[in-house]
Amino acid sequence: MLNVKRLKRMFNNNQAGFHNINFSVDKGEIIGILGTSGCGKSTLLRVLSGLDPYYEGNISSSDEANNGVGMMFQEPRLLPWLSVRKNISFGLKKEERTSTKYQTYLDLVGLTGFENHYPKDLSGGMAQRTAIARALITEPEVLLLDEPFSALDAFTKMQLQDLLLSIWQKKKTTMLLVTHDIDEALYLCDRILILKGQPGEVFAEVQVERSKPRTRGDAYLSQQKAHILNLLNVEQKAAGELK
Amino acid sequence: MISETQKWKVGQRASPQKLSSSKGLFRVGKGFALGSILPIILLIAWEIAARVGLLAPHLLPAPSIILEKIISMYRDGSLFGHVSITLTRVLLGFAIGTAAAVVIGAIVGYAKTAEQVLDPLFQAFRSIPSLAWVPLFILWMGIGEPSKISLIAVGVFFPVYLNIVAGIQGVDRKLIEVGRIYQLTPFQLTKRIILPAALPSFITGMRSGLGLGWMFVVAAELMGASEGLGYLLVVGQNTYSPDTVIASILLFAILGKGTDALLKWIEYRSLKWQDSINNQA
Repeated sequence: MLNVKRLKRMFNNNQAGFHNINFSVDKGEIIGILGTSGCGKSTLLRVLSGLDPYYEGNISSSDEANNGVGMMFQEPRLLPWLSVRKNISFGLKKEERTSTKYQTYLDLVGLTGFENHYPKDLSGGMAQRTAIARALITEPEVLLLDEPFSALDAFTKMQLQDLLLSIWQKKKTTMLLVTHDIDEALYLCDRILILKGQPGEVFAEVQVERSKPRTRGDAYLSQQKAHILNLLNVEQKAAGELK
Repeated sequence: MISETQKWKVGQRASPQKLSSSKGLFRVGKGFALGSILPIILLIAWEIAARVGLLAPHLLPAPSIILEKIISMYRDGSLFGHVSITLTRVLLGFAIGTAAAVVIGAIVGYAKTAEQVLDPLFQAFRSIPSLAWVPLFILWMGIGEPSKISLIAVGVFFPVYLNIVAGIQGVDRKLIEVGRIYQLTPFQLTKRIILPAALPSFITGMRSGLGLGWMFVVAAELMGASEGLGYLLVVGQNTYSPDTVIASILLFAILGKGTDALLKWIEYRSLKWQDSINNQA
C-alpha cells in the first residue's frame, strides 16, 4: 500500500541523509528500520511524514481513504495546555473534537479516568500512551514511529511494546518503526530493513518468520539478533576501536 | 496496566480544585497575612513617629491624617471622579496598546520578512524615552484625552510587543511539527499551537505593560489635566498639602496593585497547565 522508489534526501555536502531507498509496505505489516546512528533513519521518517519536503524520488500510496499518516516521536510532544482528552482529539476535525470519540482510544491505551489531567501530571510512560492514542485516533493508513520508546525505562518500554502489539492485533494498523534497539525490532516487526552507511542505504532485509506475540529471548530471535549484529558490523568495529 | 499507586500519586499531584479547598484558602490567607506584616509595622511606626513629633507635619503627615483626607474626598464625591478618570485613561490606553502589540507582534514573530522590515524601526522607537513624545502628542492632539491615552498606549505597547515576539519565536519547533503532521493551515497553526504556547510570555508582557501604563498616566496627568490622581499630585504640591500628595500616591499604589492582582489571577487561571514551581501541589 505504501511504495517508496529511489528516495533520496541528503544534506551536509552529501555526508548525511540517505539515498537509493526502495521498499514497499503491505497493509497491516509492521516494518522495522534499523541502523546505527547517523544513517538517516529519522530523516527517512520525516520525509515520509511530510515534515521534510526536500527529497527526491517517489512516495506513492494506494490507499483511497487518504487519512494521512500518524506520527509518534521519541518524545510524547503533547501540547501542555491541553488535557489528555483534548490532546488525544487534537488531530480530529472540529466537529469530532468535542465528541466522545477519544474514549475508545483512551481505553485502548489504558488511561481510562485520566482524560482531564494535564501532561505535566503524567509520567513518561503515560504521556507516551497519550501520544499513541493521539496518533491512532485519526485512523492513519500508516503509523510512523520514530524511536518511540527509546526515552523510557526498560519496564515501561516492554509494557508499551506489548501495548503496541495488542493495538496491532485489534486494529491491524500498518506501522513503520524506526529503532536502534534490535530486540525491539525483532519483537515487533515482520520485516526489518537494515540501513547502513553515511549517507545510508538499505543494506539488507531480514524477515522475522514468527507469528506475534513472540517470546522475548526466543532462540530463533537470538539467532536473528546475532545475524543482524553481524550485518551491522557492530562487534568487529568496537573491537577494532579498542586496538 | 497502570498500577493503583501510580493512579493515587497522579491524583495527589493533580488535585483539581486546590484553591477552593479550605486548605487552599488557608494558604492564600496565610500568604496575604505574611505580606501584610511589614506594611502594618511601617504604618504603626510612622503613626507613632508623627504623633510624638519626630516627623514634621508639613512634610510627612501621619497616616491617620492621610486617611482622613481620603475619607473627606470620598464624602464630597471628588474621590470617585479622580479615581475613575485615571482608571479609565489607563485601561483605555492599555487596551489600545495591547491590541496594537498583539497584531504587530504576531506578524513580526511569525513572518521572518516582517521582522526584518519592521523590527529595526520599532527598536529605534523603543529607545526614545517615552516622555519625549509628550510635547509632540500635545501639539498634535491638544491637551485633552486623546494625547493622554496615546501616551499611555505607547508606553504599554513596547513591553507587550517585545514579549509577544519573543514568545512566538520561542515556541518549540517540536510542537509546531505536531501541527504540521495534521496538516494545519498557517492560521490554524497560529490559533491552536503558536498562540497558546506564547501565552505565558504574552501575560508577562501585559503585566509589565500595565505597570508602565500606570507610570505614564502620572506623566500625562502631570502635564495638564483638570481631574485625575496625577492632577491631585499637582494640586497638593501647589497648595502645600502633603496629605493630598501622599493620599494620591497611596491610591496609585492600591490601584496599581489591584489591577496587577487581577492580571495575576488571570495568569493563574489560564496557565494552570504550566509545569512550574507555582503549580506544584
